[in-house]
Amino acid sequence: MAIKSWHLDRRTFLMGTGVSLGLPWLECMAKADESPVPVDQPARRICGLYFGFGVALPPENHEHALWRWFPQGEGREYQFTETLKPLEAQREKLTILGGLSHPNGRRMGAHDTADTFLTGAFLNNKLLVNTISVDQVAAKALGDQTRFSSLVMSTDGGVGEPTRSSTLSYNDKGRPLPALYQPQQIFDRFFAAGDPDTIAERRRLKSAASMLDRVLDDSHSLRNRLGNQDREKLDEYLAAVRQIEQGVERSQGWLEIPRPELRDEERKALHLDSNDEAPLQFIRTMYDLIYLAFRTDSTRVATYQITNMADCSSKAAKFPQLQGFKDSLHTLAHDWDKPGGSERLGQWDRFMAEQFAYFLNRLESAQEQNGTLLDNSLVLYGSSNSVTHDNNNYPLILAGGSEMGLKHGRYLKFSDQVPMSNLFVTMLNRAGVECPAFADSTGELNELLS
Amino acid sequence: MPAQHFIFILVVCCGLGSRGSSAGEIQFERDILPILQTHCIRCHGPEVQEANVRLDILSTNLIEDRAVTESWHEVLNVLQAGEMPPKDEPQLSGNELSTVTDWVSNSIKAALAARQKTDGRVVLRRLNRVEYQHTMQDLLGLEMDYARDLPPDAMSADGFRNNGSSLQMSSLQLEYYLATARRAMDRVIVQGEQAPAIDHTFTATSIDNWLGDAERSNLLGRRQEFLVKMVDNYPNDGDFLVRVQLTADLKPATGYPLLEVSVGYQVDTEILMCEFDLVEVTSPESQTFEFRGRLENFPLPVRGQGKFPGLVVRVRNVYDDKSPLPTPQKDAGGKTTYPGEAHLPILMIQSVEFHGNTYVQWPPDSHRRILFDAPGVDREDTAYVAQVLQRFMTRAFRRNVTEAEVARLVAFYQEIRPEFPSFEETIRETLALVLIQPDFLFLLEPAGDEKRSLDEFELASRLSYFFWSTLPDERLIELATAETLRANMAGEVERMLADRRAQRFVQQFTDQWLRLNVVDNVAVNRDRFPGFDDRLKQDMCAETHTVFEELLRENLSATQLLAADFTMLNEPMAKHYGIKGVFGRSFRRVPLSPELHRGGLLSHASILLSNSSGADSHPVRRAVWIRDRLLNDPPAPPPPNVPSLEEANPEFHRLSVREQLEIHRTVESCNQCHRSLDPWGIALENFDAVGKWRTDIPQSAGDGANVQSVNATVVLPDGREVAGADDLREYLAGDRKQQFARSLVSRLLTYALGRSLELTDQSAVDNVLEQFAEDDYRLKGLIHKVVLSEPFQTK
Repeated sequence: MAIKSWHLDRRTFLMGTGVSLGLPWLECMAKADESPVPVDQPARRICGLYFGFGVALPPENHEHALWRWFPQGEGREYQFTETLKPLEAQREKLTILGGLSHPNGRRMGAHDTADTFLTGAFLNNKLLVNTISVDQVAAKALGDQTRFSSLVMSTDGGVGEPTRSSTLSYNDKGRPLPALYQPQQIFDRFFAAGDPDTIAERRRLKSAASMLDRVLDDSHSLRNRLGNQDREKLDEYLAAVRQIEQGVERSQGWLEIPRPELRDEERKALHLDSNDEAPLQFIRTMYDLIYLAFRTDSTRVATYQITNMADCSSKAAKFPQLQGFKDSLHTLAHDWDKPGGSERLGQWDRFMAEQFAYFLNRLESAQEQNGTLLDNSLVLYGSSNSVTHDNNNYPLILAGGSEMGLKHGRYLKFSDQVPMSNLFVTMLNRAGVECPAFADSTGELNELLS
Repeated sequence: MPAQHFIFILVVCCGLGSRGSSAGEIQFERDILPILQTHCIRCHGPEVQEANVRLDILSTNLIEDRAVTESWHEVLNVLQAGEMPPKDEPQLSGNELSTVTDWVSNSIKAALAARQKTDGRVVLRRLNRVEYQHTMQDLLGLEMDYARDLPPDAMSADGFRNNGSSLQMSSLQLEYYLATARRAMDRVIVQGEQAPAIDHTFTATSIDNWLGDAERSNLLGRRQEFLVKMVDNYPNDGDFLVRVQLTADLKPATGYPLLEVSVGYQVDTEILMCEFDLVEVTSPESQTFEFRGRLENFPLPVRGQGKFPGLVVRVRNVYDDKSPLPTPQKDAGGKTTYPGEAHLPILMIQSVEFHGNTYVQWPPDSHRRILFDAPGVDREDTAYVAQVLQRFMTRAFRRNVTEAEVARLVAFYQEIRPEFPSFEETIRETLALVLIQPDFLFLLEPAGDEKRSLDEFELASRLSYFFWSTLPDERLIELATAETLRANMAGEVERMLADRRAQRFVQQFTDQWLRLNVVDNVAVNRDRFPGFDDRLKQDMCAETHTVFEELLRENLSATQLLAADFTMLNEPMAKHYGIKGVFGRSFRRVPLSPELHRGGLLSHASILLSNSSGADSHPVRRAVWIRDRLLNDPPAPPPPNVPSLEEANPEFHRLSVREQLEIHRTVESCNQCHRSLDPWGIALENFDAVGKWRTDIPQSAGDGANVQSVNATVVLPDGREVAGADDLREYLAGDRKQQFARSLVSRLLTYALGRSLELTDQSAVDNVLEQFAEDDYRLKGLIHKVVLSEPFQTK
């Protein structure tokens, strides 16, 4: 093949920024600001969990039908297959959701939809501009009441690259929020005692505030000397400075309030040295950290991208192999319809379900004033592929929130006319974030409440 | 599979309205739109948008909208390549085709001309993790893991981690920049007297009860270790030194003993941390090796707690020829011993010393570099503080700083001085402020909307970050100050490439260009490859690094990356490839004979393994890698909602991958892309997952007892038949040389600039490519040309 003229540019990537999109969440903000959740109300929480590449879905009459992720039956009359059996104990605290997906996602590349799992945005191949994620809408509204507005985690950490992101969370500008990935760092950030010398700590906070002021002041003349593109980059930096300023203010407010005490058994159960070389322990440790953050009311919003669709650029690509499976994550998912494939992938799906069950059990084990921690948390677990490459019919589980008005114990099937954003609207409203609409929502998912 | 997500056209919904004429006499509405309506809109219109392309509302305002330009450019590409309309659809007449392509190319030309002065600009970019690590270390002269808490950097769509647009700044990032700066300053600027030295000398191992089943001994073979512990009397921080005195018993026809020193002990993991690089002991004589470190960087035990209190130093000989391990025996006292292994080299430990708080002088160098000696001057004097700041800022900002800039920092110092208990603490805080300024964290090249030449300081930084991933050294700054750097470019490039730090360029560039890091994310299947040692992955990457380095150093032709009669190997890699007579850890040039089937990147285990499944080869992944990384012609990503293959053939899984892919291609939607993809990978089927040569393939399913012989003969998309890997390499080095060279030029320029290339860079690439070809594709020559190119020299 001859080199085409202009060939070079075929591969270029637009630095497209500055495109303003509709911002439906603004309404949510306004209402939430008008009527913030009273402090004496019980804490309500939102958690988003994600895995890449979808699940095994052999037909119901298939020899491996017992490895079909979705249950048999419907409504209250449903039976878990082998895959989700580990969740049997929590059956009355969760709902399996079938048929939902993001309509925008259906128009996107087969492996491009991890970015939009919690946003519902449309990322086309060139202008990769996302929109705010549902957890950050909640964080904006609920964040003032806790030491941290949200906990954003992933196995790979950082933001990854567009369409192969390694974070679930996006801010109000649609910018990805870097995910934390090192258990020790997360622990230190959320639970470490801090400097016992509060005077020194206060001094540093005050000086930091002054530093940031000066940085902002000094940047005006610099900004004037820059061209448009560079200005956009500098503005990103300045936005970060302003955010830390708020963070510093917030920390000053929290300085006198002691860091949460962890129980001995909670400390002992933690494996802060775990990393991506030992998936079982690592995933559980990340779950433990969310549990602790919620239990101590250090934050009310958390996301964790367990695996993603970056394949070999992801540390999670080899998770199955490290757990004794023969193939990498992508190969397992890709070969689900080969002979024996749905059983192999089904076993992995079950492994993931076991870890999810572990997390739900932890949340369930902590009693609060009304109900358990799980009853006061909304936990969404799922993927943005049904089977790999298919951006319809996401495998989804919504767990928890019985004290927030959720009715569980069912397998609910929805038509593809119902955008998944409707679920987010309901989740937000249940979490005390009054929200008439999110992304492309057309209403609420009232079936969850009755 | 590497991410591909920039192939097809966006649907531009904004910026509509200007659909009038913008190119000469051809009018869009009158002349172009009807042709599109006839031939394109059915699949790329309101009803259907194949590949996300919609043409009926694609804006024609190319001048103001770069995205639109790119989209029309794609249209031009597919029309000129004959890819569209599909073959079974009515084709454009010659006249129609030229009308559309003329209009599109003229419009693009007009848009480019309008943008020539503003596009193709290096974007303000922050230091990435690697650059930040080296920059902080060189600036402060203190060894520390500066990047520890920073989020991993985003990779750009074209695979680079130094891309200004992709490198984000977030509050989390900035927060940790501040925390890191404070952590570092606490160590660099010291207070008070030097802590007393702590010295220990051990001539015998001092721990009996320990983890694992190794034997304690001064004679170190594969199963022995020399282990000592300081229970209480050890420092918690500061510089330390471990000195090992030993002799060695070398053996013929085998490698050298490998000295490994580990310090510290992490209670949670119950393992020692190996923090020092291995040292190969190549002489039998008594000699001393020194290992220096900073205790804060090592895992320390909690004092008085745990089952194994105390600071541990472990010395081992980790040379392993992979022969079966000896069986442990119990001696009379119940201790584990091992029979000697006469064929293996032995280390004989004479003594191990530990020295804590080892400072040549106090305050240490790193402190004096900032708070320089000024006899008779009051340190709290504003003039001294200003001087300290001026010197520090000049180095940190990599340019001359103005008095006003210094004055602002002095003002900060004065503001917080009353709050802080000591001068040192105030200075630490003030320096931390320097280290979160955009002037430090970003490669700042202030410029308005018009392109301009770089000044000499900016040029110095471009060069030092290109070759060394760090700030300019003193000489570069001197030249820049004297404004003679540009005049001495060629000499400086030679000097910088000859410097050890240039290995950072070799490593960073090859890792990112060739995606070598992926080996870490591929788990090698232990059933298929029992005994595979994960540490070999590092050596695999080192082969690729050192080959590139060798071509660079010797200024050889870059086409030797495609086919070569030598490679760079050390003992483990030579063993892996079945090549005898290479001993030792260092990589050296090894000539290759044809029957070895090696030479060129496509025979490197690093690349073969990273594009495998860990159990077997992965022809599609290998194919994508060749098309994307080597030829810069990546295939389109899988389309949305790919139907799963209903494999009607029950024998499907018994077929070879080659045959499976053949069936795959009978599905038209798959075939569109895979016909031009699969052959590239199939041609490499003689290499298994870990890059060893094979003539038979174990079956992918079933009992595994059956094997099929490899058939690696393929017909490439251009009709050329290629008989396996050797033939493919020759073909690439011959017929595809020019395409590869263009790809390499583009990748290198992309890395050098820290941004993706754009349409406007076309002429610069052409220019460099032309000179590159005239110079017989010599690699070092290419570097010189890139550095002299217009994009590198301008902002």
